[in-house]
Amino acid sequence: MLGNGAVLVSFALPSNPFVAFRGSIPAGMVAEGDAYGVAEFTSRLLLGGTRRLSAAKLADRLEGIGATLEFHNGEELLSFHGRCTRETTRETIRILVDCLSTPAFPLREIDRVRGELWNDFRIEADDTQLRAMRELGRLVFPKDHPYGRDPKGGEEGIRRIRRRDIVAFHEAHVGPEGLILAATGDLDRELVETSIAEPLSRLDTSEDGIPAILPPPPHRPRRVTIPMPHKTQADIAIGAPTVPRRHEDYYALNLANLLFGRIGLYGRLGRNLRDEQGLAYYAFTSLEARTAGGMWSLQAGVNPANLGRAVQSIRAELDRLQSEPFHSDEVGDGKENQVGSLIVSLERNAEVAAELHHMEYYGLGMGFLERYADIVHELREDRIREVAMKYFTASGSSMVVAGPVGRMRLSL
Amino acid sequence: MPTHVETLENGLKVVLRPIPDTKALSTWVVYRIGSRNEVPGMTGSTHWVEHMLFKGGGKLGKGDIDKIISRLGGKMNAFTDTDYTMYFETIPATAMDTALMIESERMRNAAFDPKEVEAERTVVISEREGAENQPEFAVEEELWGLAFHVHPYHWTPIGYKQDLAALDRDSLYRHYLRYYAPNNASLILVGGFDPAVAMQRIREAFAPLRPESPPDPMRLTEPEQHGERRSDLVRPGPADLLEMGWHIPAAGHEDMPALILLSTILGGWRGLVPFASGDWRPRSNRLYRALVDTKLATDVGVRPEMKIDPGLLIVNVTLAKGVSHQRVEAVLDREIAKLASTVPAKAEIDRARRQFHSWARYERDGVTFQGMSLSVGEGLASWDFGDRLRAKVVKVRPERVREVAKSYLIRDRRSVVRFHAQEATT
Repeated sequence: MLGNGAVLVSFALPSNPFVAFRGSIPAGMVAEGDAYGVAEFTSRLLLGGTRRLSAAKLADRLEGIGATLEFHNGEELLSFHGRCTRETTRETIRILVDCLSTPAFPLREIDRVRGELWNDFRIEADDTQLRAMRELGRLVFPKDHPYGRDPKGGEEGIRRIRRRDIVAFHEAHVGPEGLILAATGDLDRELVETSIAEPLSRLDTSEDGIPAILPPPPHRPRRVTIPMPHKTQADIAIGAPTVPRRHEDYYALNLANLLFGRIGLYGRLGRNLRDEQGLAYYAFTSLEARTAGGMWSLQAGVNPANLGRAVQSIRAELDRLQSEPFHSDEVGDGKENQVGSLIVSLERNAEVAAELHHMEYYGLGMGFLERYADIVHELREDRIREVAMKYFTASGSSMVVAGPVGRMRLSL
Repeated sequence: MPTHVETLENGLKVVLRPIPDTKALSTWVVYRIGSRNEVPGMTGSTHWVEHMLFKGGGKLGKGDIDKIISRLGGKMNAFTDTDYTMYFETIPATAMDTALMIESERMRNAAFDPKEVEAERTVVISEREGAENQPEFAVEEELWGLAFHVHPYHWTPIGYKQDLAALDRDSLYRHYLRYYAPNNASLILVGGFDPAVAMQRIREAFAPLRPESPPDPMRLTEPEQHGERRSDLVRPGPADLLEMGWHIPAAGHEDMPALILLSTILGGWRGLVPFASGDWRPRSNRLYRALVDTKLATDVGVRPEMKIDPGLLIVNVTLAKGVSHQRVEAVLDREIAKLASTVPAKAEIDRARRQFHSWARYERDGVTFQGMSLSVGEGLASWDFGDRLRAKVVKVRPERVREVAKSYLIRDRRSVVRFHAQEATT
């Protein structure tokens, strides 16, 4: 931990000939209170110029050394990641620190970002998959909880956001408190100390502390259709709340999710919808687990003529979890997959940096990767079956269909 | 990086890149077959064949590939391009024999069970329909169709829906048998292995496979374009789009290094290989400054489509609301004219070169991306295609950038697609 509270984690991977980093500050949507959209607006402006450099000069400086740097707003965090060479690490981190500590928020850039956000609204409104998933998030995490609402806020809200709102948000939340930076690749102790820790320690404290994350309100399952008659394909999104990352059910649930909708070409779900019936090119599930809650979701893209059959088949697979729970061979395959995937999933700098960041953010401890195989092996089969039955249910899930479907009544 | 290259007697080219301190292994097989080798009425057949090669045959039953790779915690996929098709699996290095077994079975013994072929028809159609939901796909398909009248680059690898509805099992199987042979493929291994041991295992797995007679050389050449071609798409969509494509020479042509610098100056650089760049959006380039900074557009991209045969240099723009296509086209014309008339400043050339070279490192991030880079190189020319290109980019004189702009970015040889977004009815 640096003197200003920022935490730096690093891991050398000398065979990858560059440095990758991933970091975060607790300045995501959770921190914006009811000023919806201000966190997203701020994140998009951090490359919009600093007190030292205009947006154009900043881009010239960054790309002139061949580095990349991106900022993204999320539910809990303002995250950033980038790539640079060993020789350009110091300059890249200095630029990162400048962007975080002295953004200029020029009016010209604010106008540009406002236009970009409006355009994104239009683009997302025309995308069946995005609309279905956005609506599902809203249903699963109701009452404008940060886990469920659109990070961009609303179109009207974006119109109202002023420079002073962005400056206030930045001053209150963007600083070294809660900052985590994970770096991997072609680095050693000296490089970390002189080129990363030293510039990072110059970050000044922000005004407010780390925002509390309230648990999501209760979910009441609903069915929604979003007619988009001009589209060719319909997207189905089904989901329900699950557990936070540190919850005792998490690892069993993660394995159950793998078996139901991920392993191989999408687990049980993909085998049925894609492999056996040829109904969908994609049909898979996801599990997101955050600090105060989580969501399990299922996505499938189908021809509207096959919509009824696809929904029935999904229902049948959900019911099968109760009538024909995962058998021992399935669980064994899943465990082998999770243990083996550790080697494969950490072959890239960017993936290692992301995992290091994840471990630090959720307090899993730096020995987590060594313990992971034991955690998986120790999972009891009946526990995996139990969590699947508990969390992956038709009655407990919301469903959204977006596409050329009309305002039909849906049942799952 | 140390790379061992050897060709087996049956014509299979083997490229080995050992990385001693890694525990993962990425195995790639690239076949010199893509939509470029298709004929009208059979478009999309190469991509459909790719799907069928996950369904077993020989020593592998249906679902076995999935099961085996999943148990290893591995990742796998395949990609069909216009010029080549690639398959890969990244697994723990200790399981090298498994990857070699899968790929040798896939090369000659795929089953093509008629029932499975039929089940996959709707899957590939679904893949196409998912793409059709995106206006960008319609624009891209229209641009290639407009720019190429004779050459099979006229269609995209996914193929036309009517062909996907009509293709039969035997045609697909013939396509497979004709092109999936050791003498039309390269095997690439990157990761933690001993090259001598790997070579021995490769011989055991692949040497028994019989070669086919070499594929016929491409006979179709796109005639020179005389006069600009335009197309207007009027469809529901979220934003107006503009895409322009200029004919450029083949990937191996001596002008390609200068065209890469030109492309970087115009629109930035995101690497030779797709996927490595993620969401990264370069801003230090002329078109971002001229179109996005000025709020005429919300996004702009430039990419040289490097292909075995002459391809396209493509500019795509997402227009800001209320901005006309004419206005954006005028800005593009002005920027292109500037490039064709004035030699770029040294600082701008240096910045473009540095971006290109940094990306060369970023594309070596792990065994999978390295395998992909070497495979794309093999698909286009040779595994070291990227390294050779990089060596040439260093030597490009600034004057050459102006010269290639003048030679290739010509109005009479460009195709333009304008997407006019209509309000969707609900």
